[in-house]
Amino acid sequence: MKKRIDALMGMLRNFIAYLPLLNNLVSRELKRKYRQSVLGYLWCVLNPLGVMLIMYLVFSTMFHNSIENFPVYLFAGRMMFSLVTDGTNGMIRSFVSNGALMRKARIPYYIFPMSVFFSTVVNFFFQLIAFAIVLIATRTPLTVHILAFPVVFLQTAIFTFGLGLFLAMADTFIRDTAYIYSVFLTAWMYITPLFYPLSALPDFMQYLISHFNPTYFYATQARDVFLYHQWPEVALMLRGFAAAFIALAVGLYAYQRGKDKIILYI
Amino acid sequence: MGNEIIRLDNVSVRFNLAAQKNGSIKDYLKKLAHHGAAFQEFFALQDIDLKIGAGESWGFVGRNGSGKSTLLKVICGIYRPYTGTVTVRGKIAPLLELGAGFDPELTGRENIVMNGLILGMTKAEIQSRFDWIVQFSELEKFLDVPIKNYSSGMKSRLGFSIATSFQPDILIADEVLSTGDRNFQKKCEQRMKELLSDGTTLLFVSHSPGAISEMCGNAVWLDKGHIRLSGATEDVMDAYNAASNGK
Repeated sequence: MKKRIDALMGMLRNFIAYLPLLNNLVSRELKRKYRQSVLGYLWCVLNPLGVMLIMYLVFSTMFHNSIENFPVYLFAGRMMFSLVTDGTNGMIRSFVSNGALMRKARIPYYIFPMSVFFSTVVNFFFQLIAFAIVLIATRTPLTVHILAFPVVFLQTAIFTFGLGLFLAMADTFIRDTAYIYSVFLTAWMYITPLFYPLSALPDFMQYLISHFNPTYFYATQARDVFLYHQWPEVALMLRGFAAAFIALAVGLYAYQRGKDKIILYI
Repeated sequence: MGNEIIRLDNVSVRFNLAAQKNGSIKDYLKKLAHHGAAFQEFFALQDIDLKIGAGESWGFVGRNGSGKSTLLKVICGIYRPYTGTVTVRGKIAPLLELGAGFDPELTGRENIVMNGLILGMTKAEIQSRFDWIVQFSELEKFLDVPIKNYSSGMKSRLGFSIATSFQPDILIADEVLSTGDRNFQKKCEQRMKELLSDGTTLLFVSHSPGAISEMCGNAVWLDKGHIRLSGATEDVMDAYNAASNGK
């Protein structure tokens, strides 16, 4: 038991020692993205607003849409969905693309997916600014229910990190993973009610999605607090946390199992 | 021999050549079908025993692919030994490739910080050595230029300056003097000697016998993953040169 605790403390010390590097890698990620552009970091806010505007125009004019306050419905769902997809999509190649560095310097490997994860989280906070603009533009009031949002965010973030870590491990050993996943993401977008209401689907689809699609749990909870001004449904929250911790456990297990072999496969 | 700082006991490093190929589902299925017949093992190092005392300087010679770099990487902790144990006491400054971890999009200034962190320095240490690094690398004018616009010589100057800006317990240099002009090579040798005389242990790989003889008191001759000979530099180099010329 004492040995276990010592090992854990050692890992923690190690992690703290590498925090400045993690911090530097995260800010590098952001810097690199916007360095050459005139508007720079403003793009972090403008980009989601632009995408949002296009989607709004397409789905509210081309399709007959019955959703009330559609801009907020769309944005609240989309920002949770894109936290999951941007995060996992970035993390999936994080070992492979840092291979050169891993072969030359001794850094704990988890630093790489973790830095991508945190830069996605920072991007998400910029999206929240864009979301605030949408809320103001649509005159949607904020209520006490937004206090539940950190809990919604936490579920989504844990889920993203776990899934991303697992995918990064899988991709290291089988490079097809990233390609398969990118196809899967397209399907995932359509089976998550982002721009249509869940009720538009046949009953059995509704059942499957509302019970087994994690992005639905997170998108719906975000809409509850921002759009419908109610506390998220407990069952949904439990499902959200369950999905998050399953993903985290799977990701950590995969990392623990495979981390010593990574260097041979990158 | 003084305090033992590095000790390798019966170390072997094994690579799976089949695994080095990019894994794809096709390969994976093939492997399953052949029941692991795709496993092609290769020992880059075999039964290495080596004891290195603090403050000593060791040169490593051998033909390409003899395991020199692998040996240094095992000591750095980048590869794990397949069998045997590696014990290292002290802080290592690995110079396996100058400027490994440089980000081409970032400026010289930003890369100094990033590279220092990768080498395990703290922010405060980097700050305190910053001026020295800039001065030693002679890159004052190019500090705010992205590294992608640096020449390879400039990059190795910066890399060497960062890695030797503090006094490491162990400095591991793999062919680092091969780029850069004569002047800077001299300067680097000077700096390595300085660190040596201050008590750093030096492990040095080079294809230049002259540099090894000049820098190192001891040498190891590696051949196909085995230690062919180790001991005083002169003896090892004589035998090595005789063998290379004999071919």
